[in-house]
Amino acid sequence: MIEDKDRKADPNWAWAVYEPDARRPWTGTLAAHLYRRAGFGANWQQLQQAVAEGPQATVSHLLAPGSDVEAFDRTYDGYEGGVGSVNGLRAWWLRRMIETPHPLQEKMTLFWHGHFATNGAALKQTRLMREHLQLLRRHALGSFAFLLQALARDPALLLWLGADANRKAAPNENFARPLMETFTLGPGHFSDDDVREAARAFAGWFVLRDRLRYLPREHDAGTKHILGQAGEFTGEDVIRIVLEQPATPRTLVRKLYRWFICETDEPGEDLTAPLAESLAADYSISAVVETILRSNLFFSSYAYRQRVKSPVEFAVGVIHALEGMVSTTQLGRDVAGLGQDLGHPPTVKGWPDGRYWIDSIMLTRRHNLAWALLQGGDPYGDKLDSWKVAQRHGYADAESAAQFLLELFLQDDLDPDVREMLRRNVREDAHTDSAAALDRLTYAAVTLPEYHLA
Amino acid sequence: MSIKTGFISGLVLLFFVLNLPASAQELPPAKCIPQDALICLHLSQPKALLELLAGAEMTEAITSLPLYQQQSSSPKFREFVNTIRFLETSLGTDWRTGLAQLTGGGITVAICPNDTVVAIVDAEDQSLLERLHEIFLSIARAEAAKQGHADRIASKEYDGVTAWTFDGNEAHAIIGKRLILANRAEALKTVLDLRAQKEGATLADSAAYEAAQRAAQAEAVATVFMNLEPFTNLPPVAEVLEKSRNNPLAALFFAGIAESFRSSHWLSVGLDIEGRTLTLDALTDGKVSGETSPAAFALPHKAGDGARPNLSVPRRIAALSLYRDLHDFYAAKDELFPERTSGLIFFENMMGIFFTGRDLTSEVLAETEPEVRLVVAEQQYDPEVGTPQVRLPAFAVILRLRDPEQFGRVAEEAWQKAVGLINFTRGQQALPGLIIDRPAHGQTKFTMAYFSTTDVEDKTKLETRFNVRPALAMPGDYLVLSSTDGLACDLIDALGQGGGAKQAPLAQTHSLLEVDGTQLASVLRANRESMVRQDMVKKGKTKAEAEAGIDLLITVVECIDGAKLDIGTRDGLMAVKLQAQLNLPHP
Amino acid sequence: MAHTRRDFLRAGVGGWALMSLRVTTPNVFANAVTAAGTRARDRDTILVVIQLSGGNDGLNTVVPYADDEYGRNRTTLRLPTDHLHKIDTALAFHPRMEAFVRLYHEGHLSVVQGVGYARPDQSHERAMRIWHTADPQRPERQTGWLGRVADHVRREVDGDTSAVFVGPIARPFALNAERAIVPCVRAVEDLTQRDSPREMSEVGGAGVNDALLEFVRRRMVTARAKSERIKAVTAWDDYPSFELAGDLRTIARIIRADVGIRVFFAELGGGGIGGFDNHANQLGNHGALLHQLAESLAAFVRDLERDNLLDRVLVMTFSEFGRTLKENGRRGTDHGAAAPMFLVGGNVRGGLVGPHPSLTDLENGSPKFHTDFRRVYATVLDKWLGCDSQAILGQQFETLDFFNA
Repeated sequence: MIEDKDRKADPNWAWAVYEPDARRPWTGTLAAHLYRRAGFGANWQQLQQAVAEGPQATVSHLLAPGSDVEAFDRTYDGYEGGVGSVNGLRAWWLRRMIETPHPLQEKMTLFWHGHFATNGAALKQTRLMREHLQLLRRHALGSFAFLLQALARDPALLLWLGADANRKAAPNENFARPLMETFTLGPGHFSDDDVREAARAFAGWFVLRDRLRYLPREHDAGTKHILGQAGEFTGEDVIRIVLEQPATPRTLVRKLYRWFICETDEPGEDLTAPLAESLAADYSISAVVETILRSNLFFSSYAYRQRVKSPVEFAVGVIHALEGMVSTTQLGRDVAGLGQDLGHPPTVKGWPDGRYWIDSIMLTRRHNLAWALLQGGDPYGDKLDSWKVAQRHGYADAESAAQFLLELFLQDDLDPDVREMLRRNVREDAHTDSAAALDRLTYAAVTLPEYHLA
Repeated sequence: MSIKTGFISGLVLLFFVLNLPASAQELPPAKCIPQDALICLHLSQPKALLELLAGAEMTEAITSLPLYQQQSSSPKFREFVNTIRFLETSLGTDWRTGLAQLTGGGITVAICPNDTVVAIVDAEDQSLLERLHEIFLSIARAEAAKQGHADRIASKEYDGVTAWTFDGNEAHAIIGKRLILANRAEALKTVLDLRAQKEGATLADSAAYEAAQRAAQAEAVATVFMNLEPFTNLPPVAEVLEKSRNNPLAALFFAGIAESFRSSHWLSVGLDIEGRTLTLDALTDGKVSGETSPAAFALPHKAGDGARPNLSVPRRIAALSLYRDLHDFYAAKDELFPERTSGLIFFENMMGIFFTGRDLTSEVLAETEPEVRLVVAEQQYDPEVGTPQVRLPAFAVILRLRDPEQFGRVAEEAWQKAVGLINFTRGQQALPGLIIDRPAHGQTKFTMAYFSTTDVEDKTKLETRFNVRPALAMPGDYLVLSSTDGLACDLIDALGQGGGAKQAPLAQTHSLLEVDGTQLASVLRANRESMVRQDMVKKGKTKAEAEAGIDLLITVVECIDGAKLDIGTRDGLMAVKLQAQLNLPHP
Repeated sequence: MAHTRRDFLRAGVGGWALMSLRVTTPNVFANAVTAAGTRARDRDTILVVIQLSGGNDGLNTVVPYADDEYGRNRTTLRLPTDHLHKIDTALAFHPRMEAFVRLYHEGHLSVVQGVGYARPDQSHERAMRIWHTADPQRPERQTGWLGRVADHVRREVDGDTSAVFVGPIARPFALNAERAIVPCVRAVEDLTQRDSPREMSEVGGAGVNDALLEFVRRRMVTARAKSERIKAVTAWDDYPSFELAGDLRTIARIIRADVGIRVFFAELGGGGIGGFDNHANQLGNHGALLHQLAESLAAFVRDLERDNLLDRVLVMTFSEFGRTLKENGRRGTDHGAAAPMFLVGGNVRGGLVGPHPSLTDLENGSPKFHTDFRRVYATVLDKWLGCDSQAILGQQFETLDFFNA
């Protein structure tokens, strides 16, 4: 772990590329940290490869994993084609997260789903939600400007916001307001007048019979005054104008900081300024994400375990690490019960994060989900097997398999007393049934406080 | 227990089970089974079963399964085959003959409380049984020695009988041609004590068993006796029985059966094999609902009354014929399904609108005879019109009216109001509606509605709604409510050709279900891809696993030419008869 | 041989429980258990809301039997006077609500009459959304009033969730919160830990100075303690076999376990459009539902009285609208406006609040409201939950007088 507490505030140090040295060595602990943030945790092969290749090569690989991504996405797009409900899409998405060759893309799709939080319950056609999620995925690491322009024309988002009818005579603020308040500028950077004027600019756009339509006679061709600019603006101009405001990249960078680095501490303006400048230049999402993932700050104690895993990260992480696949229909329900119902965020502000996920009832349910996944009976069946995974990677006896699992799930970074206890228990139980003893070890490991942190 | 010893114990059991003919002097097995047995399975003619299960046709059917072909190349499977070969050589017989000789006298398996299992196998050939035991003994010894647990194999004299154990838990003994096997030593001891008539009451002495034996068919190849009292009290079973109270449809189908089951003490099932027809005959002693019971609507009270035979249509997948008095059913709704759910109230509200305020119970349902039939059939699609991506079968409900002259018009009006309401609601949501048409089929004019595909470009992958072309037809006394016009026409034909009231009722049968495997398999095959995807996310399978599973399902379904389930009463007992006609490939 | 579920369970209970005895730091655990058991305030009040889905016919619930207009308009649905349970010379409870009469005479039941809002909506979905958001002017509002309560409480104490929904249907929108997670509970097993390696969360930690990790660790101890408390409470069996009765039984059990949940929500009518939407054949169906409500609630009250808990609990019923005075020719009634709300509890004053609305001065064929439903909400928030009603409802409403002083 890099202990450079006093240096955090120094942007030059913070965003410089992390170079391992004797004082700050590259270890499995940091490799797993990278995979937790840039994906849904590492499995053993990913962990080993990352340790061997070093941080920068691993980040490069995470950003551009190679050509099989397209084939994978095509196959899954095909699977999702016949799905008739948002909960069906939820199941396929969770399966994608578990199997994807491009975890960062899915992680960012999840980020944008929380940012442009669209609730599919409002939609009559599943197709709209499917296309919405595919849109988020396509631009997840691309240009935020493109993404925003596309979403301003996305029937799913407009229907959910109640912005499906924009008449000249009655400008609809239901898109303009969240556009400024939630999607770009953030509160305090615009006035009610800006919202009203922007709504006029969107007049003419409708969603009719689940398709986007432009009705020229409903467009308001008059002059609008938006954020200090005046002109006969259209909706596209509004998007351009909000993207020109310095508040937009700053707000987005703060959110990405919280997502990738730390949610216990708000960064100072100076610290995030270089990233905001980079984003303002071309709105390239991947450029900012790349800077973050390669940085000293990302690999420092300021970031390490300074996020709470969301329910999706928690559940997908366990299954991905154990190299298995379970019923994602059931998993979707259980993860919804933990407070994160994919496809149904509670409000347009997305999901809560951090400490909000950790509540007595939700912790009890995380325990119960881990138990359900590992105990071998209904509803998940005997699909995850800790012992087999350990053997597959060459850990042939229970004792070494126990060590393997603690490495896999916690990189052995846990309270030494607890570790001793866990291993002693495996030793004591293994002679009767190694497989059960090791599944219990996994169960204990993934319900430790440390495992709930990302 | 290691995989190997588990496997060997399994084989031991299998062999013993299959290898023991009864010796003349031995007691009937039921006299050796403890009285508290929960379930007792008795195969009186294992050979008949063996002939079917290990016969050339079944072998052909099994070996042609893709799953079998996959499995047969696995090392475990080869090991299994080698073991069988080894045994065949050692015993000097082929496995089919061996098995027949080892079990020909009958097999009895009893499940007793506390997970205790006892098996009694009567061989025809005592020396074969003994030789086999010797072989297993030596294998087990070698295996145990390898693992350093030679002490696990032990034998002990008890009451003049040698009792063995191969793994310290299992216990067995050979007495003449009889093998007695138990999953724990105490259980074997109990059986040996009962055999010696030392103490304890046997199953044969229990009143329930006796009653069940009296009621059952004597000639069955196999019989199962089940003590229902502990079973119906199990929470999950009680829950299922209770379920029919919350759901009107479940109550309509199962209220009578559940009521009878709750008061049953025993269940007896007999298996008969005749050629390719398997017949399971089940009886319970539960109370048959009296006329005052809320479940009385499901019982033919007059002698000779009962459900009519099912209607035959082309491409039929399944058909259900029920004797149900719908008026009495709905009049007892407070007792049958007391919850007032949203769905129920919605249904009543709609019925109120469709039937212009008529009382559902006394003015609508009272107009029907206690004759309810359902038919499900595979659809044929006109390529001109288009083919849906998901191909759902067509289904229809057939009711008989008491006064078709009077009520026919009321029903027609109700149906058209329903279509009108659907169209209105869909229009409000900017969705396309149904077009109503009134064509004729032969002499019968009927009403149907359909979604137009004129504007759809790709007619090969229509949305699911195009599976529905609702139709209402009223041939003779009958009212046919069908999800497609095609099935409605087929039913008009079926009812016209003597399928209606001319068919005599099946006396005392209140429910008759028939399923056609070949046709069902055909529908499954048409929807294979969607089912594979469903399986992937529902069960967490890989694509290949899901495909193998669905293909296996299709193959198995295809093996059942027809299955028929008949539920009714016989001599005051509830009787269930399941008949399956197997469709095996010709070898 | 693959291990079985049974093995997993067996070993789980044995070995791991022993481990806890070896390593648990007794003080930490004991403190946590005590902490979970002691409420911030010794007498935290509890609200149980029961939604009657579908639009309850107030006129056949609290019946204005002496009013000729009632009999004139209800040709088939008029309830026979001699079967009614009379409150006074003008009003009576439905014949199947005998249990309510007892509650009323014991002073545990208060009936707020003529509740509604201006320009009532006649669509189930929109009207229900208005009762859920408590914001008739902003139907697109994305949080429910009780969800806002949950957010409010969560912000104040950074603690566990204060609200749950108990029932088999999807969670009603009233509980939709921006930040707080309001769980759905079908049975108490949804709130208790299966065989759990609990010990892990209670050991170690000494010398860790990471605030986030410490937070999770402390929460885990609390979660464990609360789960144990719920398990330790047994349910009372003397409830009728209705779905609502089962839900209230679960609620009583959670209340008794005292785990800090202050808002419960239950439903009668099965969700969707709802069982109270009696456009046809109303008589029997409506009576059956009122019977279920009265009997379930009476059992709940008796259950709470056993442990002197009734003084801490307030039950409030609501429905999205009342129904038309005149029946519709299908032996049913159509969507209306104002209707009565029931308040039940040990601290309720008991009796009628406000007059019965007129049967001649109608709006859309239905009695008009005289009491805005948000006055009832505000009274419950301010005087019962101690939660600033203006913060939740966005404006100040005059409170009503239905609590004991």
